Amino acid sequence: MTALLDAGRPETTGDGTTAAPRTRRRGTIRDRFPGLALPALIWYAVFMIGPVVAMFVIAFLSWPGMLTTPTPAGLDNFARVFADETFWTATANSAIQIVVGLPIMIGLAFLLAFYVVQKPRGHRVLRYLLFIPALISAPATAMVFYAMLNPDGLVNGFLRPLGLEGNEWLADPTTALGAIIAVELWSGIGYSAVLIASRLDGVESELVQAARLDGAGDWRLAWRMYWPIAQDFIGVVAMLQFLSMLFNSAQTVLLLTQGGPENATTTLAYLIYRKAFVETDLGYSQAVGVVLFVIGLLGMWAIRRTLRATH
Amino acid sequence: MAQRTALPLRDRIGSITSGTLAWIYAALLVIPFYYFIVSSFKTNEEIFESPLAWPTTFDLSNFTTAIQQADLGLAVANSALTTVAALVLTLLLALPASFALARARGRAGKIVESVFALGFLIPSFAALFPTFLLAAALGLFHTRTFVVFLLPATALPLSIVILTSFMRTIPRELEEAASMDGASSLQVLRQVYLPICVPGIATVLLLNFLSFWNAYLYPLILIGPDTAQRTIQVALPTLKVDAGTDYGVLMAGTLFTLLPVYLVYTVLQRQMQRALLSGAVKG
Repeated sequence: MTALLDAGRPETTGDGTTAAPRTRRRGTIRDRFPGLALPALIWYAVFMIGPVVAMFVIAFLSWPGMLTTPTPAGLDNFARVFADETFWTATANSAIQIVVGLPIMIGLAFLLAFYVVQKPRGHRVLRYLLFIPALISAPATAMVFYAMLNPDGLVNGFLRPLGLEGNEWLADPTTALGAIIAVELWSGIGYSAVLIASRLDGVESELVQAARLDGAGDWRLAWRMYWPIAQDFIGVVAMLQFLSMLFNSAQTVLLLTQGGPENATTTLAYLIYRKAFVETDLGYSQAVGVVLFVIGLLGMWAIRRTLRATH
Repeated sequence: MAQRTALPLRDRIGSITSGTLAWIYAALLVIPFYYFIVSSFKTNEEIFESPLAWPTTFDLSNFTTAIQQADLGLAVANSALTTVAALVLTLLLALPASFALARARGRAGKIVESVFALGFLIPSFAALFPTFLLAAALGLFHTRTFVVFLLPATALPLSIVILTSFMRTIPRELEEAASMDGASSLQVLRQVYLPICVPGIATVLLLNFLSFWNAYLYPLILIGPDTAQRTIQVALPTLKVDAGTDYGVLMAGTLFTLLPVYLVYTVLQRQMQRALLSGAVKG
């Protein structure tokens, strides 16, 4: 979180202000200290940056299986990816997931955060509950939803007494993607809400009081006052959830549906996984990785533009 | 409370709408919990018949079956070992680095810092396959060791950003006084900075505890299915069987997996919430 905020902000601490009286010591401190950052930097380069660089290399190799020797392939992998119907299905699924899921998640999280910072009765309990999804691992969440969404599970158990027909939510191509998005929303809304609430807590109460005296209701107060003040921060939360949906949701897909039925839940991130570890079409897999990387950057740019600070 | 009751009626109606929304979501958070906790004491028939009914007996047989069937005891030990080792390694790497970056005034320091600050851009998930190749190249494929090496790398950007901002608040005079007395930079780090940074270190530890304990795809791909090495998150889904899952056993296993996290959350609720607010890396 702080990383994102700091990244977008010019450095404020540094030379200028305090350096002048200590010119003599400054040289030695500067020369001596960054060395201690080297182990972390090397570690990070080897385990994080290295694999990403390798992804860009492998995307341009023909590598049809672990035991074969890779050969240069130029843009062949990309040509294959773009000619593949499965890729376009996956792109559509990822797009639906983001375009439907993200605005709902951020909108509801904002309203929840707004409610919580008004300190209504029970707000402490609410804050405690909102943290729950952030504590639970992807496998545990997936297992609970697997139990709830199975044909004899809780959801159908609720619907049947109401006279509604149950459904095999995860096995039905028309509802499977919706179910995956529901799991994402369930786990994402609470955490986004507490993050946004931490920002809304800082809104001055005099301002709010003044607006209240002018007769502003909750709805106007929320969208006309709190939202603009917190907009850039909400943008940061939206970016985080966007990346999480784009990449990490593959875990949920893997655990619940393995991309099925009939590719209905195959997202781009899951396609990377499947091509690499199930079908061992490594060049293809990493070419999709490069595409997803670009989509990630473009999406973050778009979110930043939409929700940048309004001054 | 006092000022709330003084509000005009229509504002209270407005709150009631947003309040309804909030409590519906709260119910959606609580009901799955209730459901899976009671289910872990029931048989499949009981779960299907009356999903929300209170269990008739608090029979622990689902738990013993889950623990035996998926070797959960060993898996918890593996998870604990991996998590603790990775946490220690994270601090060993992040503390000196943050110290250096907080004190550096040159351009190099700023560049290094922005490398870490932009770490969230790294799509480590997309690069899972090259990471797997790296494990093979180091001869550490299918070992917990590689995951212990890898997890700190995933945690470094956020840990360093948090710790650096903490260390920036420490006045330089303190450090200079120590340096005058002939202390080396590591001594300054240990004796001056560490004691003051304890809250920052606690934040980093809690945050990374959550993400390491909950890690799934890395351990799945890199440690693999070997029961002697696999972590709890990899072991849990093996209780889900395509033909005829015993839901009671599955839910008992899930509950067992969540216990350590809930224990920590209950004891350290305030610190944990603060940690989660300052970081946003999720499993």
